[in-house]
Amino acid sequence: MFSEWNWVAYGFCLLLNIYSLEGGLVQSCGHIIPESPVLALGSNFTALCILNESCLDFGNIYASQIIWKIKNRVVPKEQYREINRTVSSVTFNDTSSLATPLTCNILADGQIEQNIYGITITVGLPPEKPKNLSCVVHQVSQLTYPMICTWDPGRHTFLDTQFRLKYRWAQESFPDCIPTDVNNSCTIPDIHFFVNLEIWVEAANALGKAESDPLVLDPIDIVKPLSPHNLSVNAEILPTVLKLSWENRISDPVMKLKFNIRYRITGDTNWMEIPSEDTASPRNSFSVQGLQPYTEYVFSIRCMKEDGVGYWSDWSEEKTGITTEDKPSKGPPLWRIIDACHSLAFWTVHLIWKALKPYEANGVILQYELTVRDKSSLSSPLKKYNVTSTNLTLQLPNGTYEVTVIARNSAGASPPSVLLIPASNSKAPVKNLRTLPKYDKLWVGWTAPNSYVVKYVIEWCLLSSRSDCIIEWQTALGDVQGIDLKGIKPFKCYLITVYPLYADGQGSGQSVKAYLKQDRPSKGPTVQTKKVGKAEAVLTWNHLTVDEQNGFIRNYTILYKTIDGNETVVTVDPSKTEYTLSSLTSDTLYTVRMMASTDNGSRSGPDFTFTTQKFGKGEIEAIVVPVCLAFLLIVLLAVLFCFNKRDLIKKHIWPIVPDPSKSNIAQWSPQVPAKHNFSSKDQMYPEGSLTDVSVVEIEADDKKSFSEQDLKPFDLLKKEKSTSEGHSSGIGGSSCMSSPRQSVSDSDDGETTQNTSSTVQYSTVVLNGYRDQAPVQVFSRSESTQPLLDSEERSEDHTGGGDSTAERQQYFRQNGGQDETNTDRPCFERTKQITHANEGDLVGFVQLQISGQSSQPLGLGMEKNTQEAALSNVLQTSTEGQTVRPETVEENPLPVDEMPKSYLPQTVRQGGYMPQ
Amino acid sequence: GDSWGIFTFLCAALCNLPALPALNCSEELGAGQSIQQTYDLTRYLEHQLRTLAGTYLNYLGPPFNEPDFNPPRLAHAERVPSATVDLDLWRGLTDNARLAANYRAYSRLLCYLRVLDGQVGTAELRHRLAHFCASLQGLVLSIGGVMSSLGYPLPAGPPAPPGAPPASNDFLKKMDDFWLLKELQTWLWRSAKDFNRLKKKVPPAVVTLRLEARGF
Repeated sequence: MFSEWNWVAYGFCLLLNIYSLEGGLVQSCGHIIPESPVLALGSNFTALCILNESCLDFGNIYASQIIWKIKNRVVPKEQYREINRTVSSVTFNDTSSLATPLTCNILADGQIEQNIYGITITVGLPPEKPKNLSCVVHQVSQLTYPMICTWDPGRHTFLDTQFRLKYRWAQESFPDCIPTDVNNSCTIPDIHFFVNLEIWVEAANALGKAESDPLVLDPIDIVKPLSPHNLSVNAEILPTVLKLSWENRISDPVMKLKFNIRYRITGDTNWMEIPSEDTASPRNSFSVQGLQPYTEYVFSIRCMKEDGVGYWSDWSEEKTGITTEDKPSKGPPLWRIIDACHSLAFWTVHLIWKALKPYEANGVILQYELTVRDKSSLSSPLKKYNVTSTNLTLQLPNGTYEVTVIARNSAGASPPSVLLIPASNSKAPVKNLRTLPKYDKLWVGWTAPNSYVVKYVIEWCLLSSRSDCIIEWQTALGDVQGIDLKGIKPFKCYLITVYPLYADGQGSGQSVKAYLKQDRPSKGPTVQTKKVGKAEAVLTWNHLTVDEQNGFIRNYTILYKTIDGNETVVTVDPSKTEYTLSSLTSDTLYTVRMMASTDNGSRSGPDFTFTTQKFGKGEIEAIVVPVCLAFLLIVLLAVLFCFNKRDLIKKHIWPIVPDPSKSNIAQWSPQVPAKHNFSSKDQMYPEGSLTDVSVVEIEADDKKSFSEQDLKPFDLLKKEKSTSEGHSSGIGGSSCMSSPRQSVSDSDDGETTQNTSSTVQYSTVVLNGYRDQAPVQVFSRSESTQPLLDSEERSEDHTGGGDSTAERQQYFRQNGGQDETNTDRPCFERTKQITHANEGDLVGFVQLQISGQSSQPLGLGMEKNTQEAALSNVLQTSTEGQTVRPETVEENPLPVDEMPKSYLPQTVRQGGYMPQ
Repeated sequence: GDSWGIFTFLCAALCNLPALPALNCSEELGAGQSIQQTYDLTRYLEHQLRTLAGTYLNYLGPPFNEPDFNPPRLAHAERVPSATVDLDLWRGLTDNARLAANYRAYSRLLCYLRVLDGQVGTAELRHRLAHFCASLQGLVLSIGGVMSSLGYPLPAGPPAPPGAPPASNDFLKKMDDFWLLKELQTWLWRSAKDFNRLKKKVPPAVVTLRLEARGF
């Protein structure tokens, strides 16, 4: 906008200038008074626009047509005043509403606005009086003293304002100091002392000029000198004195100086200052007294004008110095640890003492000198030891000793420290020992015993399961009743012992355990069951180690619950390691865990589960014993009953079967004489006794181990079974049944050949099984209707190759089988076992049985004969098996012929068997 | 009665305390202070001249820088005011006369010194000479101040112009310079004594004020 307006203005100017070319001059049609004014902010301002006469005539321009504008904004007409035909004025009450440029325009020929003239207006403020003028003479070298003056320039003026620092003597002025880049300070490079100088600041701009109040001073009074330099610290002969010397950088005729000296121990942060009175006069050295021997100090110094007018210099660079050594001020604190456990007559005494603190040692301790005097025997010599360490172990006989130790440095020896080592700690201990944590320190307090205590020794050590208790100790004066232990770690258990030392001995120690800070245990106890009953369980656990406790265990808490039940909480005394939970539900899974608690919290151990028992202790016995007793009683009663009624039972179970051999028919039989021997003998031993005639026994000729008794029960049982079950069982009993039938059939062999054949079949099974090893199907008979043929073939093979070893093996095997099956196996099975032998071999055996049975009616007297006969028979059978058989078979040639092809129909017919 | 008096005195002293610095600045009471200041300045100038002279004589070269160089004073060097007045005679003068003599002497010396200043070759020496000149100018003003504070009139008229033209000979010119410095040293040494004596005669302003306060 502005530039646009400018163009327009230029255009009109050009136009008006052309008008005025007439006069031969380039002249504008008017001008504004004042030209480019600088106005004070807030004042009022009036400008006049004066039109040239020539223009009036030429362009019919009058003052009434004048329009004032600020920038391109028209000034309201109310501010105009037409003074005369050619002059128009504009008045502003407040210059703050003004802006540049202010233009005088004219509305010529109707509506065309023409610019006549424009002025720039600058608005600002007159300078304020500079305030707070102050000057300092900074010494920068031995002879150079520039003076820096600063002042407050006052408000911003918005105008270019010049500041000048002016200074003069009474009758002579100096050139002004004009600040560069800043408006509030100036440096006068060279200054003259001892003549009063008047200094002031003048600020000036287009709106005015202001001067500060003058400062009249002698520049020597405002000097900030350079600090003394080349400070050196030297030790004197006295161990408490250090001499400082330095150079001043301001000469005496210029300025007399006073000083401040400060110092501190190296490593310390607090400065100490030498009283200013001592250093209030000009000097370049000073001896600092009252220092500690053999201590490094840091010094620094500053100076100012002696009369205190002016400024202190900066502190000088720091210099260190060490005082010389002095004798140690006190003896080292001494204590002992006595190992009495080795032997009763001797002690191992560990003498321990503390290195002196630097302020006590006053130098480098070169050695410690110990003397040990046996007080119990006056004649014994004084023992002396020189050591450089801070401990000494001695083997001493029991007794009372006085130990002294002195520390020695290059300056001398310390006063001695004395310790009595008594035979026993018989004196009174301290009372009421207690501890209290105080931030990072542990306060130990006690109540003094009644008698006078020289000093106390406080021992402490960190209890840990991992390491031994390493004793730390310190001494306290006899008049204190509490000290702070430093370096105590939190969460650790400390054992603190306090011994009072009397002039004539030592009191016994009182101990206390303490924590600086407690925490909850780092782990919980691991609980286990020791014993679990029906309604109770005994829990055991181990105490936490001292490292895990982190505080005093106040109690243990046992928490237990069933899977779905509520948790039960039991609090247990911390000294216990066992607890019995009672009122538990039987046969229930319980989860139990244990929590150890200190003052600051608790922590649980791992869960442990156990199941309560179903029955209580003795409960099973209580049930089982009576039951067993009752059972036994019943059995006994049953036996008694059976015994009483045995005849009746026998009648029912083992009905007396008439002996066919006794029948008259038997006597008809052509084989009677041959068989008679047997039957007579059998009759003497009815039933079981038959087994006495054991095939085995005969065979046992070459294998002595085998006894008659071994086989007896087998045979007996077999017989019993076969006889008893013959009646009842169908299929199972088939083989067993054979015996009674056998006997019948045997005796009836002339009568029914079919019977004989079936008998032969069975007998084949039994005897061959016994004699020969080859396992043969027991029920070959039932499966095949031609067992005889089958077994014959097999037996042929076996007998041919069969030697005594094979036979023996077979025997043993059978014997074993007998043992196994001797109990209550069904008859069927047993038979099967027995008949695990070759069918062929069995033939002989059963033949024997048959003959035995058939010979039952024979008397006892016949026993031997029958045995022998049987023997021979069996022998014959076994050895000439093959040859015997044909005979046996040949005995019934007729039936074979009659029923030539198949046994089956016969069997069915005879025994009611069906092939399986 | 006594205690009341003491109390009144204390009150008066307290009332006057704030006025002290202001009174210090006032001219009539500042005579003692300005004498002290002039004395300090004399000592300071003495100190300055000691180093300056050494440097300057070295600048002049041998034999002027030889410690035992003691040439006879030439007649034409008389233009430099001589301090070689008999000590007793000097002491016999009034304060006013001594101060006036000092004033005149330093004014003259300053004029010669300024001539010297313009001839020196090295910037460092020129700078130090300028500084010394300015300080000496200060001394002249100070003496004037002391005289006016003591109520003595300043010596009338400007110092007499150099009676004789400067020496044409370079050596003689150097001789003039040598004597100028030597005279300056003597004058300063004697002025210091003068002002020290005067200082003792005129009590310091603060003491005067206290006496006045007591009198009240």
